[in-house]
Amino acid sequence: MDGMHDLGGVQGFGPIEIDPDERPFHHDWEARMWGLNEAMTGDPRWTIDWWRHVRELILPLDYLRRPYFDQWAQVYAALLIDSGMATVVELATGKAAGPRPELGPPMQAEEVAEAARRTTDFRRDGGAKPAFLAGQKIRARLSGAPGHTRLPRYVRGRPGTIHACHGNHLLPDAGATGEHRAEPLYAVAFRTADLWPEAAGSPDRIFLDLWESYLEP
Amino acid sequence: MASYDSDKVAKIHRELHSHLPSEPALRVKALESLLVAKGMVDRAAVDAWIDAYADEIGPKRGARVVARAWRDADFKARLLADGAAAIDEFGYHGHATGHLKAVENTDKVHNLVVCTLCSCYPFALLGMSPGWYKSNEYRARAVRDPRGVLAEFGISLKPEVEIRVWDSTAELRYLVVPQRPAGSEKLDEEALAGLVTRNAMIGTALCQGPA
Repeated sequence: MDGMHDLGGVQGFGPIEIDPDERPFHHDWEARMWGLNEAMTGDPRWTIDWWRHVRELILPLDYLRRPYFDQWAQVYAALLIDSGMATVVELATGKAAGPRPELGPPMQAEEVAEAARRTTDFRRDGGAKPAFLAGQKIRARLSGAPGHTRLPRYVRGRPGTIHACHGNHLLPDAGATGEHRAEPLYAVAFRTADLWPEAAGSPDRIFLDLWESYLEP
Repeated sequence: MASYDSDKVAKIHRELHSHLPSEPALRVKALESLLVAKGMVDRAAVDAWIDAYADEIGPKRGARVVARAWRDADFKARLLADGAAAIDEFGYHGHATGHLKAVENTDKVHNLVVCTLCSCYPFALLGMSPGWYKSNEYRARAVRDPRGVLAEFGISLKPEVEIRVWDSTAELRYLVVPQRPAGSEKLDEEALAGLVTRNAMIGTALCQGPA
């Protein structure tokens, strides 16, 4: 979707607020929200891509204004309602009115250390061979896609060069609809001079990891 | 069951917008109470996650990895070839590091990491991401004006140095291996790790030698 989340290259933003305080959380509620995200047992059909898409669908002004972990709270509220596990009234009051969803027991404290060491592998070997080779010139597809996609607006239609192939990775566009489908994923280099009028003559490059269906020869 | 229906969720967001408490702290408190009441979360597990990321899992991990890469050329070669396997040597694998890619700063190349579409970050290696990394300003500007962004962090590069900005659009996560500072030749791994800051591993700081 062409949403407010697609911020790369958008102009008009001011200086970056650099906070020298490096503590992981600045408010207790931020820490709670993050811990809830890690510890909760939700709908087994939720995928990382559906999660990201639900965040992208936050109203544009809320997306720009609301603090980061507050957006996570909004995402979970929407996910729970969408999956039929909670109602707006329950989320507003914090009190359960409906039945408990039929899920296994939630994660216990003694399981956290093990869970924190768990990685997720998004690579799927086998399947299609990569159509492009390192060094090959390509162009990013001009149009976006409905639903969730990871092809940012700022490279669409622009020429780039295949830097490397990462093998076949699960496609987020499919993951956001509950489908698990992999295709070749590439690191693609774009010269800033090919992206921005003010970057003529610059040696700088932007690297993005893009799936094969996002690219054209 | 998840609907995977964009229009339905957009409608839910609009409804929530006008019905939830206005303060984030109250919204999160209500969410936690509800999840506990529905048997979907155990508060002690939430506490344990917060504790794990308060100290043990944080930028000190990444700093040790960089320090070893500075002292041990074989390790650096392994790290640059397969970042995820190399950090396994420390037992540091975990959230968002399954496809870790290390990129090295040199006299000719400076690397900078961003996620323009959301806020992807190698959590198990660097801990929680800084507020500025998740800000609209950084996400919008890092790919458009990397030199201006670096200047705000106090970094001024020669015009001929190539900046490589890594926009984390897939599940690969990036670790910048900063340049080893002059004057650090005699330091052991632990002392070297003390020179490596979180921002240096994202590309918004340079490492300074011992004072």
